[in-house]
Amino acid sequence: MMQTIAQINNVTHRYKGAAENSLDGVSLTIQKGETILLCGASGSGKTSVIRLLNGLIPHYYHGDMTGDVTVKGLDIAKTQLYELAGIVGTVFQNPRSQFFSVDTDGEIVFGPENIGLAPDEIKARKEAIAKQMNLDKLLGRSLFALSGGEKQRIACASVAALLPEIILLDEPSSNLDMQAISMLHDIIRGWKKQGKTIIISEHRLWYLKDIADRVIYMDKGRIAREWRGKEFAELSEVETRQLGLRPTSINEHYLALLSDKDDVKFKQEQFFDGIMLKDFYFSYHHKPYLLRRKQFSVADGDALSLCIPELILPKGKVTAVIGSNGTGKSTFLRCICGLEKDCTGVIVANGKEYKKRQRIGFSYMVMQDVNHQLFTDSVEKEVLLSMKEKDVNRCHEILDTLGLLGYKDTHPMALSGGQKQRVAIASAIAAGAELLLFDEPTSGLDYAHMKKVGELLRQLAEAGSTVLVSTHDPEFIEQCCDHTLRIKNGRAVSFEAWNDQDRNSIR
Amino acid sequence: MSVKLDPRTKLYMIFVVSAVVMMSATTPFLWAVRITMTMIPILLLIMEKHYAAAFRFLILYAAALIVTFRFLSESSKGFLAAFLVGYCSIIVQFMPAMITAWYVVRTTKIGEFVCAMQKMHIPDGITISLAVVMRFFPTIKEEYTSIRDAMKMRGIMLGGGNAAGIIEYRMIPLLFSCVNIGDELSAAAVTRGLGGKVKRTSVQELKMSVADYLLMLLFTAALGVFVVFKYIK
Repeated sequence: MMQTIAQINNVTHRYKGAAENSLDGVSLTIQKGETILLCGASGSGKTSVIRLLNGLIPHYYHGDMTGDVTVKGLDIAKTQLYELAGIVGTVFQNPRSQFFSVDTDGEIVFGPENIGLAPDEIKARKEAIAKQMNLDKLLGRSLFALSGGEKQRIACASVAALLPEIILLDEPSSNLDMQAISMLHDIIRGWKKQGKTIIISEHRLWYLKDIADRVIYMDKGRIAREWRGKEFAELSEVETRQLGLRPTSINEHYLALLSDKDDVKFKQEQFFDGIMLKDFYFSYHHKPYLLRRKQFSVADGDALSLCIPELILPKGKVTAVIGSNGTGKSTFLRCICGLEKDCTGVIVANGKEYKKRQRIGFSYMVMQDVNHQLFTDSVEKEVLLSMKEKDVNRCHEILDTLGLLGYKDTHPMALSGGQKQRVAIASAIAAGAELLLFDEPTSGLDYAHMKKVGELLRQLAEAGSTVLVSTHDPEFIEQCCDHTLRIKNGRAVSFEAWNDQDRNSIR
Repeated sequence: MSVKLDPRTKLYMIFVVSAVVMMSATTPFLWAVRITMTMIPILLLIMEKHYAAAFRFLILYAAALIVTFRFLSESSKGFLAAFLVGYCSIIVQFMPAMITAWYVVRTTKIGEFVCAMQKMHIPDGITISLAVVMRFFPTIKEEYTSIRDAMKMRGIMLGGGNAAGIIEYRMIPLLFSCVNIGDELSAAAVTRGLGGKVKRTSVQELKMSVADYLLMLLFTAALGVFVVFKYIK
């Protein structure tokens, strides 16, 4: 006997100050114990549906709303958020901004404390959850010291500690690597077995295809399509691509590529024209001398978080840096562009050596959070800021190639995420950097945006820049990378060419 | 060896030390009391294994003390002396409060803090706001570090030929991201029941130990000594 647990009834909603409706006549009936996957492009209303169910719309994000939402017999509009806390739990996209505590234990008990449970019961719950989700190693740690995947597990645990019947997940895999995604998959499957009702909004679809009972496709604030889970899993790549979705399965080849396989003996290929990285050693766990910092060398052996004696990058190509979270990809990029001062590596290119500070001029890193790297009040100024000699014509030229010329007087913070990223790239080009580094540029992007970033990187490489991009995203690698460089524990373990032939042969 | 102090004791320590640094020490006895009071948080830091911080505070404080007492007198003249007098007296005067505050922030878990405030019957509104502030320090630090990295990359650490830029380029992205994080953080917190009418509970069990009482006694005595010397004698 099916039992309805939540119902959205003809809801239209527009955020305060927004020009368009975020939701447009959405109706959805959710049965108890169902697992629903919400998919669709960014801005199609997936997150708004999640917010309707947890009450953040209308109680936290204000706007104009018609229609009504009932969850477990409660009319959301008339129910206070704290009353919903024990019924609906939400795992958010960004682990950085969903933690209230600074330690893992405090985070798990935060919810139960808020609803006023007795201390003994809270402790019992914490232990039960820790056992169920295998968290023993994570208890008693600082949240700031955890990897993205570990943070997301704690977020799941802290939601589960409230024993909600309905669990909502808003793009939970955005910042996760393959291993962490499979862990997340197991957590969700565990909840499903317990009979929880689960609603997931997600761009990455492949890991959910065996879990979802129903898949809902959203477009421009409406529910456009609906499939049973099985039907959805059988959609072909052509069909998903037409809908602007990421594929429902990833090729075995990529799975093997991105999961930590056994060490391959590293063999450096020789490139006719390459950028050589020499003596890149670095460690976070070093004992600083009182006055002068220690310089790292290969002799430090296992203590090194990064140990790359020599590596040649092919010029004018896109190289993907792969490897699981926390294995040294970001450290590697930070060392190349000279952000880690204690790393004394040398870049050799065009017969010249770039040391220390010169590395910053030669290379440029576009960081994951673009908000941190936009400083001025217009797009034009932003690009000019990077130029040693301010050249407005050149600036317009760069903006034109990136399709930003129309926005030259706009405030960078008023742009969309993808546009901000392009402004950051424009600044990198303006700075005259030859080696462009990208730190996970496609995490949390839908298919169309991911594709755009891929095209852009190809464009940069064809114009002569060398691009190095750290990523977990198989579809992105397939789209634009010429080579893959695997990093494991700070060591380069393999470097493989990746050309059209390979691409076709694995199809 | 580690001494786990009750947050209430820590708050009391901050209160006493802040009061004492506002009163001047005039006799060697008062100086001795004040130096002892400064050594206590440094010792506590060592016990909590914050060796580097304890060492830095100790060196800075000792250097300032030595310079003040050995090398400077009322007859010191010249720019360097004037500069040193100003610098050292600020350190000698206010460093104790800073060390204590640093110790408290670094060693108190938010859960403990919230529980202690509840036991003192402080309204939840005040407690939660203070807890959020404590929670935000590490976040601000993280954000600030990545903004500085981005500035280094752009070569605008010194403002990029624009003096106001030195501040502007740091503060504007920092404010933007803190506002965003704050917004998302409170959304996440309310979905987990923060701000309800139910009385919040706490799994922390706080009990005053001998060390707590001893320290409280010690600090009360120190405060007493300063008050007596200032207002009564």
